[in-house]
Amino acid sequence: MTSFAQAIKDKGFVVTAELDPPRGVDLGPLMALAGRIGAKVDALVVSDNQGANLRQAPWWAAHRLAETIPAEVILTLTCRDRNRLSLGGDILAAAASGVDNLLLVSGDFVSLGDHPQAKPVYDLDSVQALMLANGLAQGHDLNGQELAGAPELCLGAVLAPEARPLAPQLVKLRKKRAAGAGFFITRPLSGPDALKTFLQEAGELGAPIIAGVQAKNPEGVAAAAEMAKAIRAGGLAQGLHLSASGDPETLASLVEACGR
Amino acid sequence: MIVAERKPFAEIAQAVAGYRRVLVVGCGTCVAVCLAGGEKEAGILAAQLDLAGQLAGRQQRFATACVERQCDREFLSELDAAAREHDALLSLACGAGVQFLAERHPTLPVLAGLNTTFIGVNQDVGRWDERCRACTDCLLSLTGGVCPVTMCPKGMVNGPCGGAVEGRCETDPERDCAWTVIHARLSDSDRLANLEVLVPPRDHSRANLPGRQAHAAYLRRYSSHD
Repeated sequence: MTSFAQAIKDKGFVVTAELDPPRGVDLGPLMALAGRIGAKVDALVVSDNQGANLRQAPWWAAHRLAETIPAEVILTLTCRDRNRLSLGGDILAAAASGVDNLLLVSGDFVSLGDHPQAKPVYDLDSVQALMLANGLAQGHDLNGQELAGAPELCLGAVLAPEARPLAPQLVKLRKKRAAGAGFFITRPLSGPDALKTFLQEAGELGAPIIAGVQAKNPEGVAAAAEMAKAIRAGGLAQGLHLSASGDPETLASLVEACGR
Repeated sequence: MIVAERKPFAEIAQAVAGYRRVLVVGCGTCVAVCLAGGEKEAGILAAQLDLAGQLAGRQQRFATACVERQCDREFLSELDAAAREHDALLSLACGAGVQFLAERHPTLPVLAGLNTTFIGVNQDVGRWDERCRACTDCLLSLTGGVCPVTMCPKGMVNGPCGGAVEGRCETDPERDCAWTVIHARLSDSDRLANLEVLVPPRDHSRANLPGRQAHAAYLRRYSSHD
């Protein structure tokens, strides 16, 4: 079991924070922010061309964080920018570099980002990406061909509790679970009630839910912290995923308010 | 059918600028139906090019011809004599037709007057919508007659992404989420169990290469190995 899977199991409640790699080569600010918040969270989630906007590939930041910060590192990989060869190769390289927690996502469509002219890949969907990663962890690729050394992986997927209609989302969710998702991180929630409603409609997922709490600016931190408190007090989730639209000071304040 | 649209006039005018005798070749099937490259459109384009050529002081002549289908040799052969009388052919067929015409006249410049856009349906007079990506592995029996490969911008085959808002696609609030439609269709026809099928990664090996297929009878006649 990877230590993030262990942490969820042992602690019962975890806190993660989302970091965006830089739009350039200087990893300094990201490492400085991670140094400030790393001891107050259980895991740092490194985003992958967030919002379909060009950034440094996440594996480098993930590797550097895994080397230097005590928190676990979760690497996000989108299906938007990689075919099955690239996804599989990146997962093996990540595991080899000490990053074995993955968040496998479809990825926002290219038209939403800063390169709307790009050709999106989507060779696999997020369910199939989980199948691929799960297979790698069992020592084989998508074609059943054996690997020379299997990675130990903890696989996560995204959950959209507020998407409506919910029924098609629940189908996808069951498939993600069946394909090997060991935890779910939700999209940023509008409030604790949204999660409560979702849980009533969805029933037991069979995997921990980490609730997305976002503050878009410093003024939004107090409200986000209130939401986080209500989620935790209400036993609505097994963790919090804190994000701040890429603003480091807001993220630091949010972690200060909600972290360990 | 195959849907196409005419290239911008300036681009076509520039492509033909260097040729004195140009034959504008319409195609009477798909692109005629979508009002892009039929006999009528070939005539209009030739008249426009003629006028533009005169205004620019060029000595150019534009003639027109139209065949039933430019993707069939038996129809293309009708053009052989006329083609020899021209310096260039401007094809108003889809990309397949342009290539087949060029293949038949390897010494003549064959130019494209259309951009081929998609395989689609006629929604209304003057409006067409894409419905098929020719992916070589049809899922429509499973997905309620709604193609997730075509109608979902991400081509998700195991359910919706998390980006749908109130049943609309994250790429366009005017567009239905394909998976919302699939779910409704399967629910209405009492086939919701179809949704639980875990669709494995697609085998792209056939679609990755230029497509080729032969009818069994063709193989029996022309091949010693069936």
